[in-house]
Amino acid sequence: MMWKDSYKIGVEEVDRQHKELFERLSDFITVLRSDGDWEPKIPEIKKTLSFMGDYVVEHFDSEEEYQEEIGYPEREEHKEIHEQFKSEIADFAEKFEKEGYEKDLALEFSGKLMAWLINHVANTDQKISDYADSLDGEDE
Amino acid sequence: MKAEFVNPIYQATSDVLNTMLGLEVTRGDLRLVEDDAIVGSDANVIIGLTGSLNGSIHYSFSEEMTLEMVRIMSGMEMDEIDKFVSSAVGEIANIISGNATTYLAENDFDCDIVSPQIMIGQNKSFSMANDQALVIPLETEIGDFEINLSVKESE
Repeated sequence: MMWKDSYKIGVEEVDRQHKELFERLSDFITVLRSDGDWEPKIPEIKKTLSFMGDYVVEHFDSEEEYQEEIGYPEREEHKEIHEQFKSEIADFAEKFEKEGYEKDLALEFSGKLMAWLINHVANTDQKISDYADSLDGEDE
Repeated sequence: MKAEFVNPIYQATSDVLNTMLGLEVTRGDLRLVEDDAIVGSDANVIIGLTGSLNGSIHYSFSEEMTLEMVRIMSGMEMDEIDKFVSSAVGEIANIISGNATTYLAENDFDCDIVSPQIMIGQNKSFSMANDQALVIPLETEIGDFEINLSVKESE
């Protein structure tokens, strides 16, 4: 499994989205890497790629809203990290349009997306929950 | 080359491999390479540094370790270093280097990293960015690997 419980940050809605994101990415990678001709897979790949891109952006928005809600002090920096990655996704989208939906490019995109997301969820997002936990401490 | 560049890189490597892959990293004895090419391994990721430090960080992993790192991340068995595997490992090196620049900045070395160059293939040798490189040997439970650090302070 790509998703691991150790990636949980302890905020139910965020964890649910992360898990869904990892499951979708995992399914996508399985299709990408499956045997068989590439050409017939292209329409499906194209659809999923655009879906993944949209889903990541939607998730970022929802995570940013949550950070706003709890008054997370590093939300601007976090947003900046999201923006940088969104622009990398956009660069790939442009490359796909220009160079065609080549298998190697799709593999390159998904490898990077997977590693980036794992680090983001296991490391950067963890700091949000550390802050949320510190708020709970204050309430007691 | 100063050994004080080593700790930020080691710290970042240890943090990232621990949070991303659940690995414990231990460091072996440093080695200095002079006027010689860096001998790579099966998967090589080279990341340039610019700013108050100039040079490059070269990560080299065996095929076995590369495949195992990607298996841990994806939960899927990998049997060759294809574009998916090389891109995932390139991103790990990119993340480590990015975190290392944060630690370097704490020691007043402000640098930026340049997008990774990934080279796959056995026994390649690489010319060094400077005339000296420090080799940092690292050990994990899924294999040993090396980081070659070839940097100097900008004039």
